[in-house]
Amino acid sequence: MRVTEGMRYSQVLGNLASINAQHAQAAQEASTGIRVTKPSDDPIAAAELARLSASSSQTKAQLSTIDTVRGDAELTESTLSDASDIFVRLKELALQGANGGLTAEERATIGVEVSGLKEALLSLSNARGTRGYLFSGTQVSTPAFDTNGNFQGNDDAHVVGIGNSTPTAVSTSGADSFVVAGGRNVFADLDSLSTALANNDEAAIRGSVDNIDLARGQLVDARAKAGLILSKLDASQSVLTSLDTQQQKTAQTAGAADPYESYTRVTTLGQTLDRAIAVSKQILDIGSTNRF
Amino acid sequence: MGSLTQLLYTARDSLTAQSYGLNVTGQNITNVNTPGYVKRDPLIETRALGTATTGSVTVAGLQRATDIYIERRELSARGSASAATEHDNQLASVEALFNDQGSTGLGNALSNLFSSFSALATNPNDPTARTAVLGAAGAFADRSNAIANTLSETKNDLLKQAQETTAEINAKANSIAQLNRRILAAQAQGEDAADLKDQRNNLLLGLSELVDVRTIPDDKGSIIVQASGTAIVDGTNTRALSVNLAADGSLQISSDNGSGGTTDVTQLLTGGKLAGIKETRDVDIFDVSSKLDKLVFDVANAVNAQHAAGFGQDGVSGRDLFDVGPTLTDAARNIRLGAAVAGNPAAIAAASTAASVPGGSDNAVALADVFNTALPDGRTAAETYGDIVGAIGQRKSAVAQAVETQNAIKAQVQTMRESMSGVSLDEEMVSLTKYQRAYEASGRVLSTVDELMQDLINRVGK
Repeated sequence: MRVTEGMRYSQVLGNLASINAQHAQAAQEASTGIRVTKPSDDPIAAAELARLSASSSQTKAQLSTIDTVRGDAELTESTLSDASDIFVRLKELALQGANGGLTAEERATIGVEVSGLKEALLSLSNARGTRGYLFSGTQVSTPAFDTNGNFQGNDDAHVVGIGNSTPTAVSTSGADSFVVAGGRNVFADLDSLSTALANNDEAAIRGSVDNIDLARGQLVDARAKAGLILSKLDASQSVLTSLDTQQQKTAQTAGAADPYESYTRVTTLGQTLDRAIAVSKQILDIGSTNRF
Repeated sequence: MGSLTQLLYTARDSLTAQSYGLNVTGQNITNVNTPGYVKRDPLIETRALGTATTGSVTVAGLQRATDIYIERRELSARGSASAATEHDNQLASVEALFNDQGSTGLGNALSNLFSSFSALATNPNDPTARTAVLGAAGAFADRSNAIANTLSETKNDLLKQAQETTAEINAKANSIAQLNRRILAAQAQGEDAADLKDQRNNLLLGLSELVDVRTIPDDKGSIIVQASGTAIVDGTNTRALSVNLAADGSLQISSDNGSGGTTDVTQLLTGGKLAGIKETRDVDIFDVSSKLDKLVFDVANAVNAQHAAGFGQDGVSGRDLFDVGPTLTDAARNIRLGAAVAGNPAAIAAASTAASVPGGSDNAVALADVFNTALPDGRTAAETYGDIVGAIGQRKSAVAQAVETQNAIKAQVQTMRESMSGVSLDEEMVSLTKYQRAYEASGRVLSTVDELMQDLINRVGK
């Protein structure tokens, strides 16, 4: 085969261009740590990264949802705890009021404290969280109870999506907690005690103790349900955090460059490039005009 | 038996022939780096004069070191490589529109839309969360519009590029026809027309970058040039190619049929820049536009169906979040925020019943869950988008591989052509020495004859 000057130059240019391109690609991977910078770098990985990005975004949104609703759930739980504590004090006052040695004035004095506790209970039942009144259901702009303890909200739950197959309720029903049908109307129980104290009715006072216990039990149950919501949030957060970590790892595997491999390639191709330049110089020297 | 005078003429012929050889060698050395230059070989042969043996030499002309089959293969290889390279370059700009690694894709907008529904569910009564949903929905529509518009503009640009390429093809065809005319005239006058053939060859190489080219030489030195299956140059005549839009919006390549009409030769186009442009425009962009339209149409309708089932803060339901039109066609280009919700955050339907307004969040949760629900094609929005990204990547990767393959084939054929037609300075150095020595020897013959004749004249003079 004839070897012409044009063939020498083309060969030198072609080889150097090819090695240069490979070296530049390897250097980019090594310096950025990213192997897939565009879909054609690895189409399967790029498609996987697109799907992972969407899944990861959804996971992060759900984690953010948990963070946001956790505050209200904790506030609900602590509010119900405070409410049940009121009934502990109410029971003490009822037992105190049921003492046969008390005078009407002394019972009236206890009644004053009971009235104060009712105000406190009403205030707790109308506690507000980030999204409005905690116990109003979805009527978040309306106080859950009026001054007489009548329920003004609804029983619709506040639901969010946190990775479960069905929406998760993260609110506690005000009606179930305070005025459940078939259960206790805690405001009525409190009012009964207040009335008995005002009437100096020792028997009625004694009779209210059991109802106060039942009311407290209802509030404790509601608090336990609120605690379950927090547990659900914790469990979901744990699962979603693991999922988020796994998604990040998978994305790292799919799209990131192996630092050892990419550094080795850069070094190897750099040496190849040096050798190619040296060989090219020799080839071009052969083709020089010294022969003339 | 030859006389001294005849020997004198022989020496003269040799000097002429060796001088011609030196001249051709000089041409070769001079043009060692000239693109398209074909190495010449002097044709030196024995001078025949009847049946007598004269022993003299004559110059029969020169020969261009070419091989019609290698030249044809080079034209074909250049056409294929050029088509692949153009296809690759154009696809790069399409790929960039779906490069979520570079934050230019639709993926982020899609994810943000559904994340905004999740955020709304945490506090449906929050005006900020409602405004964020409108913002995310608007961003999804805007990004869809931007990608679709860029694809549409790229299609228009490619039409213009195809028309400009065709104009360039026609200009080169005219130049080749003119060179055919000059070569015919030169050869009719007994000239070799090598320089003109080099020029024509250069034009053919340039033409092969634009369109698939096949040449058919005739015995008079002219050539027929076929491009896209039609003879665009036939001797000194040309037939122009043109590009227009077919009824389906694809590129239609037509050839002047010589009788005032045109012939559709689109299906015969196989190579060159024009083929790369057509492949990108009519196959890839069409394909990705269709997939994008379907994704946007399906997502918008799925979101609309769920949104219409819910209630805004005003207790009204039945409102679409997006206005996407009734058909798939241009869905990505046309999608907008629904008129009933645009600028009206309270219209976002987070609640599933009127009674659960304003804190009801179940419809917002259901809207976020559309992200996980299979669209009519059986895949979720994220999966479908991933499929689009993967398909574009596969296509671009395959075309990039084709570029490498076609360039390797082109380089191989160019090496064969260069080996056949290129100038080797080693050979020219040898030729230079060969003709120089022969010229010196011929001069020696001439001086010897001169001495002999001088000697003869001196003897006769005594």
